[in-house]
Amino acid sequence: MIKLSQINKRYPNGHEALKDVSFEIAAGEMVFLAGRSGAGKSTLFKLITRIEKQTSGSLLVDQQNVSRMRSGKIPALRRDIGVIFQDHKLLMDRTVFDNVALPLIVIGMPHDEIRKRVRAALSKVGLDGKETQKPITLSGGEQQRVGIARAVINRPNILLADEPTGNLDEALSDEIIDIFADFNRVGVTVLIATHDLRQVERLSKRTLHLEHGELIGDYHHAPKAKSASSIVTGSGVFDG
Amino acid sequence: MGSYFIRHVQVMISTLGDMVRSPANTINTVLIIAITLLLPLFLYVVVKSSEGLSDSWQGRPQISVFLQNEVSSNEAELIFQEIQLHPSIELAEFVTPKQALEEFRLLSENSSLDEELAFLGENPLPPSIVLMPNSGAANSADLSELKQQLHKIAGIDTIRLDLDWTDRFTAIVSVVRRIGLLLSALLAIGLILIVGNTIKLLIYNRRDEIEIAKLVGATNTFVKRPFLYFGALFGLFGSVLALGFLFISASLIDQPLTKLASMYQRQSLMHSLTVYEALIVLAIGPLLGWMAARWSVAQHLWRIRPR
Repeated sequence: MIKLSQINKRYPNGHEALKDVSFEIAAGEMVFLAGRSGAGKSTLFKLITRIEKQTSGSLLVDQQNVSRMRSGKIPALRRDIGVIFQDHKLLMDRTVFDNVALPLIVIGMPHDEIRKRVRAALSKVGLDGKETQKPITLSGGEQQRVGIARAVINRPNILLADEPTGNLDEALSDEIIDIFADFNRVGVTVLIATHDLRQVERLSKRTLHLEHGELIGDYHHAPKAKSASSIVTGSGVFDG
Repeated sequence: MGSYFIRHVQVMISTLGDMVRSPANTINTVLIIAITLLLPLFLYVVVKSSEGLSDSWQGRPQISVFLQNEVSSNEAELIFQEIQLHPSIELAEFVTPKQALEEFRLLSENSSLDEELAFLGENPLPPSIVLMPNSGAANSADLSELKQQLHKIAGIDTIRLDLDWTDRFTAIVSVVRRIGLLLSALLAIGLILIVGNTIKLLIYNRRDEIEIAKLVGATNTFVKRPFLYFGALFGLFGSVLALGFLFISASLIDQPLTKLASMYQRQSLMHSLTVYEALIVLAIGPLLGWMAARWSVAQHLWRIRPR
């Protein structure tokens, strides 16, 4: 579903965010992307959604070469990828309904259908009845779930989540990650960037480990507690 | 096709809602458009009214027909009758050499005129016929045809058409019209720049919205559409307001103007816009607004990308 070959990304300011990264994620897989802040996780997501372009290497999403994609095709790519952002990227002056409905509005879905789907998506993330509220009145965890509802509303084949449990307590984090696991169970390819190793251990899924822009580990099984702690104490320069 | 149409209606309605939510900005922009449209509209009405005026003057030119000096009074009478019977002549008046001399004497303040005439020994003025064509033969083509027909009558020396005056007036009007056209073009460009700038501010105000819409797969067309509606709707309201202003100013000017017109036995001097002309004004506003929005969107929208 997602295939990276020798991906390099250097930003105009000279920062090398990704160095020679190669991996492949099969359709229907659920994968954690572990690493400290600044390890290149967010950059990876930006490449997959064509927010940024890699400096070299090739990136295929659903057999399409993303970097060679004409700009007219980018909307179609993004419609097939649901993204959950660390900073939620919600419109604070719009209602929860408007926020969640946006991916359906941009494809011109009839209003009745949108209403049904928004209700279903909000129910799935446990936000029934919050349609008319503004996100600003919701807690961090609830805002995160509004973001998830928006990401899944168009039934994408791929879900990307960037630090979805960012500053949530353990119980809320478990709930959020379980929602992703549910989507994975019905065939959605899920890639979660996180430094929350508790989740990585709890779900025992494949884990890709990025450090300083390099892929330093690809564990196909749950990493043992020891190696997990070695990730945490691993030499991290980019702490910001 | 149906859903496409519905989508446009939805965007239009939500754009109207956005306009209502920021009334100060909307009113400012609409006023600027209205006033900018009003200036060329005024000029247009002035030019149109002047053309109407000169048209009706051309309907009343005097034609002076001078007979040959050697024509006897009997012959002159026959010529006069023939001219009177001509279908395109409304009024004809015979002026004998004596009458002509009287008139000449009244008009000239030359005290030595009698001495000079005595020197000549006889009245040098020929008999003439002053005539007025009927309003059906008002335009200059008809008049020159009439002139040619009159020339065929034996005993006529020269025919003079009093058109210089109206010709000059028409020339002035056409200069004003040219200036009006030039001014309109400049104002249109100015309007596009001003409205384009307003749209630019709207674009940057909605930066987050545009970014997020693009992130979830909005096409450029989708992102552009509300701004194009903003432009077109600003223009439409500007046009409506300009027509309203024009109507009010016209009714303010109309009363003194009617008084003036009555002195010249005319119904109305002012050209009032036809439905067709009003529709054109109603189309120009949205068109200019839309063009301004296109220009602004092309300049600024691509800069806003998801980060």
